[in-house]
Amino acid sequence: MAAYLVRRVVGMVVLLFLLSVTVFVLFNLLPGDPARLTCGKACTPQIIEANRHRLGLDQPVLTQYTNFVKGIFFGRTFSEDSPEPIICHAPCLGYSYNRHQQVLAAIADAAPVTFWLAVGAFLIWIVVGISMGILAALNRGSWVDRTIMGISLIGYSMPSFFIGLLLIFFVIIRFNWLPFPSYVSPFDNPIQFLQTMILPWIVLAVLNAAFYMRLTRNQVLEVFGDDYIRTARAKGLPERVVVVKHALRAGLTPIVTAAGLDLAYLLGGAIISENIFNLPGLGSLAVGSVLNSDLPLITGITLVTATIIIFANLVVDLLYAVIDPRVRVG
Amino acid sequence: MVRSKAWLLRGFAVGVAFALTLAACGGGNAVSSQASGGASGAPKTGGTIYLLSLNQQWDQVDPQRIYTGEDLAFFGGTIQRSLTSYKYSADAKEGTSVTADLATDTGKPNATATEWSFTLRDGVTWQDGSPVTCEDVKYGVSRTFATDVINQGPTYQVAYLDIPSAKDGSSAYKGPYKKTGQDLYDKAVTCNGNTITFKLSKPVPDFNYTVTLGFSPVRKSDDTGESYGQPGHLVVSDGPYMVQSYSIGNGGKMVLVRNPKWNKASDPIRANYPDTWEVDFGIDPKVMDQRLIASAGKDNFAIQYGNIQPENLATIFTDPEHTTAQFTGRAVSGFDPYARYYWVNVNKVPDVNVRRAMWVALDRQAIRLNIGGAFAGNMADGVIKPNIGQDYASTGLLDGSLDWEAGTKVPDNGDPDLAKTLIAKSGKPAPTLTFNFANTPTNAKTAAIVKSSLEKAGFTIKVAPLEAGQYYSIVFDPKKSGEFGTAGWGADWPNASTVIPPLFTQKGGWDLSQLDDATLNQAVDAAQTDTDRADQSKKWQDLNKQVVENMWVLPTFFGLSQTLAGKKVGPIYRWPAYGSWPYGQMYTMP
Repeated sequence: MAAYLVRRVVGMVVLLFLLSVTVFVLFNLLPGDPARLTCGKACTPQIIEANRHRLGLDQPVLTQYTNFVKGIFFGRTFSEDSPEPIICHAPCLGYSYNRHQQVLAAIADAAPVTFWLAVGAFLIWIVVGISMGILAALNRGSWVDRTIMGISLIGYSMPSFFIGLLLIFFVIIRFNWLPFPSYVSPFDNPIQFLQTMILPWIVLAVLNAAFYMRLTRNQVLEVFGDDYIRTARAKGLPERVVVVKHALRAGLTPIVTAAGLDLAYLLGGAIISENIFNLPGLGSLAVGSVLNSDLPLITGITLVTATIIIFANLVVDLLYAVIDPRVRVG
Repeated sequence: MVRSKAWLLRGFAVGVAFALTLAACGGGNAVSSQASGGASGAPKTGGTIYLLSLNQQWDQVDPQRIYTGEDLAFFGGTIQRSLTSYKYSADAKEGTSVTADLATDTGKPNATATEWSFTLRDGVTWQDGSPVTCEDVKYGVSRTFATDVINQGPTYQVAYLDIPSAKDGSSAYKGPYKKTGQDLYDKAVTCNGNTITFKLSKPVPDFNYTVTLGFSPVRKSDDTGESYGQPGHLVVSDGPYMVQSYSIGNGGKMVLVRNPKWNKASDPIRANYPDTWEVDFGIDPKVMDQRLIASAGKDNFAIQYGNIQPENLATIFTDPEHTTAQFTGRAVSGFDPYARYYWVNVNKVPDVNVRRAMWVALDRQAIRLNIGGAFAGNMADGVIKPNIGQDYASTGLLDGSLDWEAGTKVPDNGDPDLAKTLIAKSGKPAPTLTFNFANTPTNAKTAAIVKSSLEKAGFTIKVAPLEAGQYYSIVFDPKKSGEFGTAGWGADWPNASTVIPPLFTQKGGWDLSQLDDATLNQAVDAAQTDTDRADQSKKWQDLNKQVVENMWVLPTFFGLSQTLAGKKVGPIYRWPAYGSWPYGQMYTMP
């Protein structure tokens, strides 16, 4: 197990290195000129060159990349000609001249919002999706099954921006049941936190819960047809034990895989929900950075979210082995 | 104006528009900038006005870096004062009249307009109570010369002050941080007591307008350079409000509270009604519209930064001039700052007949319909917009009176046959042209119309969409750009000296057509330095006509925009000076 872990972590580091190189090269191949973008309207070639120098873009790509990596381990200083140079301590992922903020600070500010958004929605969709899926499987062919599958079809079909706008219009604007979303930390003001997050959680959960209802139902039904379940029933085990101890444990394994990855993707930012509900998470940060061609921020977000997803993959693989003893790591 | 605006990207075909400020006397403008009926209710002192913004932050807060009309208007009305400003009025002429602000008058030029002096008022203080001095103004202006730190703002200081150029063409003065050439700056800008004098390298008759942009004071001890004005380094106020807090991103806010040291006697312009201003960032534009339409709770006191979404215009307006009864007094439609056009690289399309044929073939009617119909703008007859005032005169382009049109009025949906005739005059077959545009869904549809209409005249059109945020950085490079593409421009003040020179001279900074014509440059210089304002206007009008005679750009639309406010905020009109809300006069109502 330990050797396996070490191999995976080393693999992660190599993957991240390759990813960082790829991102850097790709952004340098783009046809745009960041120096021109920072120059403004009244631009002259001299001002463009001055800005290119300030941004370090007049240096070879390899030097730029080396400086970026050095910054991660040793920190960097930006805008050295300014009365107050910007000191970016390690681990420094760069400085966003567009937001006038260090990249890591911007990501660190946004990450908790996305974390709470993802975790809250995740809990709702897992609880609702799996329980409804099991219920449908146990009542296969009945009106309960058909009703649950009908609900899941509706949920799966509705775009999240549409659900979000509907909820805002009716719940907030029309009936004033909730105030307009204004994110605060759950530790500072738990009531306002819940008031802000409940609608985004619902929006995110609707789509995923619908998917998990169907996934769970199919998995459980498939397991119900296996020989060992028939054997368990033939042995006279109570139905509760057959379902909970034997059928669900095997049936949930692929669901854990899917859930882990879905959660990881969500931690990279729920773009639509964050923008509709004005949440300062990673998704809205990423959109803003792309719209503004903020290359340092795009690079930082790409690397951080990639790290989260790679790490989540590792966790899922380990959990997989815990849930299903037939799977061995190593 | 300066930076990419998501709302512009979404709302108009120009992609990223740089910008501008201003607007002025009406000539030919059929659009009302004042809400019909006007807001009802008496102004109240106190309360909070909420400015709802879809952006995640201000482009800039630093007084030397702000260059967007709406932002200049907001900060100018609340926390930053300039030597001169504009009068608050819905009237096109009065609303663009320059008036004394920090200075006691609108400036005293010498006989040749190469030297301007401004005397500061007594009693103007910073938010800590210390006086605003001539040295503070001088230091603030000097920051613009540090072009690698204080970037993206207006650079008229660099262009106009009598400071020699270095070998590479940049100013020999490098700003107050490096201090290279400091003695040159000290000669060009001098303080004598409370009077500051600017020595200019050439006559600038409208310099008292120039000083509305970036000529604000900054105290040296407050200056943090790159970060000045950003969260953690809040800008220091000399206006009626001061920044209490500023956070960026979705959910971010800027809160302004009253500046206790502001002295009304020293400020004849600003009314200072509300206790607080709150700017809410990152609001989805569809949600913003719904909030303002409902106008409940605190949204009664909210105003919109940006435009009404196209799908809601029919709910709020019956046409671009009139609101529906429900929204009387709280919606405004009027000229935005921009004239839209398609630049044409004259080196790649050197034949004037071919450029004329491009404009003639263009189906401007279909393009306008695609970007919002009559709400999007009026047909343009040049690059000088009617709201600039006296420098505008019809070029005749739209009524067929230009020589090359020979009395033939080109229909709005194009005339492919006339275009073919013009191409034939060039003696060459119709060329293949590449069309650049910022890649948005609306622009992509516009590009399809451009391609279709020009190909009816025999052109072969390749469409080349560019990533929106990178658009201008690519099309400024002739090696990477196509033959023509979208653009927009707004004047910096009511003088075409801020339109023709930037768009059609190499040193102007916005010469997308890559024009470099010695005769034209001389004519531009002559107009810029003409101290007879009436004569100068005539020169700009002639140059505007020359633009369309030669089709150095293809004029498309004079842009309109529509904005909405809550039920209990006023006054509701578009301030002609910046095409913005009149922030310095705004109030809440009981």
